[in-house]
Amino acid sequence: MFLQAKAMLVDAYRELNHKKLFWIVLILSGIIVAAFGIVGINDKGLTVLHWEFPGIFTTKWIPEPVFYKLLFTNLGIKWWLAWIASILALVSTAGLFPDFLASGSIELTLSRPIGRLRLFLYKYACGLLFVALQVSVFALASFLVIGLRGKTWEPGILLAIPITVAIFSFLYCVCVLLGVLTRSTIASLLLTMLFWFLVFGVHTTEKSLLFFKERNALQQESTLTRIQADEARAKRRLAENNPKDGVDPTTGLTEVERDRLESRRKRLVELQSTAKPLSRFHTGFYALKTVLPKTTETAELLERALLSKEDREQLRNFSPGANRPDPESGDNDAPFTQSELGERVENETLSRSVGWVLGSSLGFECFVLGIAAWIFARRDF
Amino acid sequence: MPDPRELVTDPRDLAISLRAVSKTYRSGRKPVHALRGIDLRVPKGSIFGLLGPNGAGKSTLVKILMTVIRPTTCQGEMLGHRVGHKPTLARVGYLPEHHRFPEYLTAEQILDHFGAMSLVPRADRKKRIGPLLELVGLSNWSKAKVKGFSKGMRQRLGIANALINEPELVLLDEPTDGVDPVGRRDIRNVLYELKRQGKTVFLNSHLLSELEMLCDTVAILVQGRVSSQGTIDDLTRNSRRYEIEVGPPAGAAPDSPPTSPGAFSQQIAAAIRPLALLTSRDAAPPTSRPNDDAASGPTSGPTTGAMILAATGQSNSGTELAHDRHIALVVDGTTIRVATDDSGVVQPLIDALRQANLTVKAVRPVRETLEDLFMKAIVDPATGETLRPGADMEGRKA
Repeated sequence: MFLQAKAMLVDAYRELNHKKLFWIVLILSGIIVAAFGIVGINDKGLTVLHWEFPGIFTTKWIPEPVFYKLLFTNLGIKWWLAWIASILALVSTAGLFPDFLASGSIELTLSRPIGRLRLFLYKYACGLLFVALQVSVFALASFLVIGLRGKTWEPGILLAIPITVAIFSFLYCVCVLLGVLTRSTIASLLLTMLFWFLVFGVHTTEKSLLFFKERNALQQESTLTRIQADEARAKRRLAENNPKDGVDPTTGLTEVERDRLESRRKRLVELQSTAKPLSRFHTGFYALKTVLPKTTETAELLERALLSKEDREQLRNFSPGANRPDPESGDNDAPFTQSELGERVENETLSRSVGWVLGSSLGFECFVLGIAAWIFARRDF
Repeated sequence: MPDPRELVTDPRDLAISLRAVSKTYRSGRKPVHALRGIDLRVPKGSIFGLLGPNGAGKSTLVKILMTVIRPTTCQGEMLGHRVGHKPTLARVGYLPEHHRFPEYLTAEQILDHFGAMSLVPRADRKKRIGPLLELVGLSNWSKAKVKGFSKGMRQRLGIANALINEPELVLLDEPTDGVDPVGRRDIRNVLYELKRQGKTVFLNSHLLSELEMLCDTVAILVQGRVSSQGTIDDLTRNSRRYEIEVGPPAGAAPDSPPTSPGAFSQQIAAAIRPLALLTSRDAAPPTSRPNDDAASGPTSGPTTGAMILAATGQSNSGTELAHDRHIALVVDGTTIRVATDDSGVVQPLIDALRQANLTVKAVRPVRETLEDLFMKAIVDPATGETLRPGADMEGRKA
């Protein structure tokens, strides 16, 4: 049993080794790690080798260790590994199953003393080997660079290995199912990419709806605060029994204030009526997202692990325009800032447990793999 | 057709024993019956040939044995275990038709990889790879990638691959496909060597002449059914005959006017007619049956026990001279066909011809070839037409 697993792993390594793309991705990973090594930050600005680029990004705003962690999570993981390297990995591995299942090839393996299910799982694991090797090299090199340059030895960086492999596996299982169904590399690759964009679309829509929902909630809170302030002011004036010029003695408000209060009350009703469909749509997309793999959230798990609450707060406040009132916050009596809105959205996102993010994604993967394995085990070749 | 169960009685002497193997799959909405109740027995230590036209189900049957295809129904054993028993496959070698090795591997790596997949320990693989490549004539190519191999070289490598686990049973699907004559001879020698080592070889091939040379037993598969099965001797026994080629009287002047073919046939018939009864009486117990069409004689007639010695006139195949229920004699031009494999029957005929001053130019023992058997098997007895290639599709007239 171990003999066969080892043979398949060695074969997978030889196959990957044979593919030029494997080495291209590895070289590109090396270039990105090298970029981490040459880019730095000091109290004046950013540095590249010995050149300085003065600007707002300084160690006053972002401590050096946080800068490197950010660089690693945002550039290294979110962009490079979770997107570009994953696409390249998919391109490299999409052909593994169709080639394996090709007539004349599959007979050579199926006729060996190995069960079909085990064969399928070994082959699947071999596909993940591609990303596992790539990301291991990348994470280890990044760990060293960040340790040496940022003076912070962060073992959490190595979490990138299982996280990135998990992200890739969510897509790869779809690619394998399509490969088993169509036996075509091109078809399985293109349809997997399409599925990925669908997942991304659902994620973006859910995130946007969440943003609008939270903004609506903040707007309601803000408007309600203003209404309550207006009403309190009117009450106070009435209680003082000392009406000023232009103030209506029955309402305690001037004409302008009364109109504004009315307009705010109308707005509150409008906001409340908008909140319902917004919430309904968001719930729908959230439910859809729950059954789909969550690639972006999974990538963000690394950020969760690497950045502390303080780091986040600092970064949020640092972002340009963070303290500016949100343009949709209404008049300036009780505005809310973009930072506040960002915090609300972030808190909601962070409240989603690791179990939900990974568990439901892995559930999806198991379901898709189960179908693919069932087809593989029952098919005549 | 001999009952396959009668060929070998002890199941322990069988490498493969199949009963009622069927496979039906769907092509669109129509069910296609690729195999329709195959009964097959392959004796241990023999070379067995499975032949049949395209689409007869040969590869399907082999793939069922190798678990590549799931049968619709299947009873039977391979090397003492039920068909589909995965661990048994460690004792079986297989060369699929049109196999495709990973192009990025070298010949050595391929044998190493598939050896490991067949649970051959590393040390044994290392020991076997060199001699196997030597055996198939690829020792100079052991480090070369398969990408650059010709079809014949790939086939040789496929045979080595089928032997990496030192199997007790080797199933080879079209092993000489794309191989040059030298390669074919080499492969034949490998197969003889396997047989000498006591291994069982199951061959799937279109090349009838090769199967005839190699196989101890054969089965002919036509449209998913075994149409005949047995040793080549058994299958051709009924067709065995002697052919006597007769020339003009000895000492005839070269410039004498040529006798017409019909008249010469009559002359031959006249020469042997008096001996027909004697031949019958003196012959060893005949083995031929009257419906033997190898002699092209009448297949029915009086069954009185005495040979009827009478010319019945010109038939399509020649002048029928005599027949009884056991032995048919047919004069066809200058050739007498005697439907027997007993040389004793032929001697008085030779004497009679000589006494009639005719020249016996040649006496040949003749039997049907595998190709004759094959061609006979694929002809629809009802219509006399060759059966269409391909599996039987429901609703289609076979």
